[in-house]
Amino acid sequence: MFWKKFLHNPIGMIGVIVIAMNIFMAAFAPVLATHNPLAINVAQQSEEPSAQHWFGTDEFGRDIYSRVIYGSRISLYISLFSVLVATFLGVAIGATSGYYGGWMDNIIMRIMDAVMSFPAILLAIGILAVLGPNLSNVVLALGLVYTPRFARIVRGSVLSLKEKEFVEASKAIGNGDAFIIFRHILPNCTAPLIVQATASLAYAILAESMLSFLGLGAPPPAPSWGNILSDARNFMMDNAMMTVFPGLAITMAVLGFNLVGDALRDVLDPRLK
Amino acid sequence: MLKFVLKRIIYLIPTLVLVAALVFLLIHMIPGDPAAVILGPDATAEDVASVRQALGLDRPLYEQFVVWLGNLAHGDFGVSIHSKRPVIDSIGERFPVTLCLTTLALVFALVVALPSGVLAAVYHNTNKDYLFMIGTILGVSVPGFWLGLMALLVFSVQLGWFPSTGFVAMWEEFWEGLRYMILPAITLSLFMAAVVARMVRSSMLEVLRLEYVTHARAKGLSEWKVITKHALKNAFAPTLTTIGIQYGMLLGGAVVTETVFSLPGLGKYLVVSIYMRDYPVVQGCILFIALVYVFINTIVDLLYGYFDPRVQYS
Repeated sequence: MFWKKFLHNPIGMIGVIVIAMNIFMAAFAPVLATHNPLAINVAQQSEEPSAQHWFGTDEFGRDIYSRVIYGSRISLYISLFSVLVATFLGVAIGATSGYYGGWMDNIIMRIMDAVMSFPAILLAIGILAVLGPNLSNVVLALGLVYTPRFARIVRGSVLSLKEKEFVEASKAIGNGDAFIIFRHILPNCTAPLIVQATASLAYAILAESMLSFLGLGAPPPAPSWGNILSDARNFMMDNAMMTVFPGLAITMAVLGFNLVGDALRDVLDPRLK
Repeated sequence: MLKFVLKRIIYLIPTLVLVAALVFLLIHMIPGDPAAVILGPDATAEDVASVRQALGLDRPLYEQFVVWLGNLAHGDFGVSIHSKRPVIDSIGERFPVTLCLTTLALVFALVVALPSGVLAAVYHNTNKDYLFMIGTILGVSVPGFWLGLMALLVFSVQLGWFPSTGFVAMWEEFWEGLRYMILPAITLSLFMAAVVARMVRSSMLEVLRLEYVTHARAKGLSEWKVITKHALKNAFAPTLTTIGIQYGMLLGGAVVTETVFSLPGLGKYLVVSIYMRDYPVVQGCILFIALVYVFINTIVDLLYGYFDPRVQYS
């Protein structure tokens, strides 16, 4: 039923195609790239696009096309793993908080509120400022920042589900808390979690590019899209094209997840249509 | 009403303390000795010890927090390691730039989002509505800072319409200052405009289906009056919450926008301080921006009751 509806949603299908292209780009980067993304060539600095360098070269003579292609790896890696961290922590925190309730729920949710009192990117900047910029820290920072969104969704679902008769029945036949949470409660929260995860993937790609642009993401010379734009900023006048392509790559990647997110919301929660 | 406001302010206190605690703990997340990290590898043991003492790192954690919180209550955000100036003074100098930027972005976002969201709802499921939906999904997908770079390239460098370097404050020379702010504010506003416009559209769609709107039409009111006077006011309440939440995106986005356009605001100061490992400034800036965000959302909550009188002031 769900798949049938989703497959008939044109917006979602366009999104799936865009995401598939992105995954293809990341998986086959060595085949698609024409040059080594890290190879410096002082004889070909800041060149305009040509037959040899399709998107031109940067100030070190590195091929921008190849760097943009490889950039999809960093972007997908960070978005995927940060959302996984957020989902894992959010589900664990939200389920515990909602199921057991009481003072623990109160304290945990106040902490979640406090985390949400920060503009998301600002908190990620703060965490990376102290931990130092590298890929795993970006995953951790974005994962922590997005955790409360997942925790709130799961807690809300758990609060209503734990009063249901099937949970009571499961308790009555002597099932333990962990069994009830994993077997009966969590499977019923998957719909809102999937919608939230897809939206968060889009946010995470945007956030990663912003962090890299500020020098807080993947450390140079890693070819992340934000890094390429950060380099491009100083040489925009010589090679405008250097700015265009990484931005388009970010837009396409974010667009794919946003389109799928919208379609999923329409299918899973028709009230919001 | 007064009771409601007071209650809301009292609820604010634990949030503020927790926000402060998170920012306080941030500096303790530095791997190793924060004082040694701040000073770099060439520092002598005496220097490290003096920075430890200056930052209060030699005392137990809870004591450090209580002292820090007490200082905050007196407006003492610490002293910059680099400039030796009180952090709050530097924040005071730079925050007006960020406030101007985010306020202008807010205005741009609302000017675009409100009418377009209403029109999309009125023309629901027509080509205009589809065009609107494409526009908003692009709005939330295009990175604002990249658009900023492109705008700088086209409108400042190529066409020369806007200055590409330097800065004039709007409160000193309004029109000249505005020229420096227009491109950053528009590119910063894009994401928020798209999110708010979608919210306006969906709330309007919900409201337009209600019976009281049909009643207003049946009374013979013009469509314009039905929409602006009856539907929009009620549809605006959920939109207001979205605006409050999205203001955080503006404050966060300002950090990047100020870096792109070299605006001397709080965001750029934060980024420069991170490069210089000036942690008291980093702490101060993050805390200050978070406090502004909490404050704005409290105002939004208080305003909510005006647009949705069902919210009881009790």
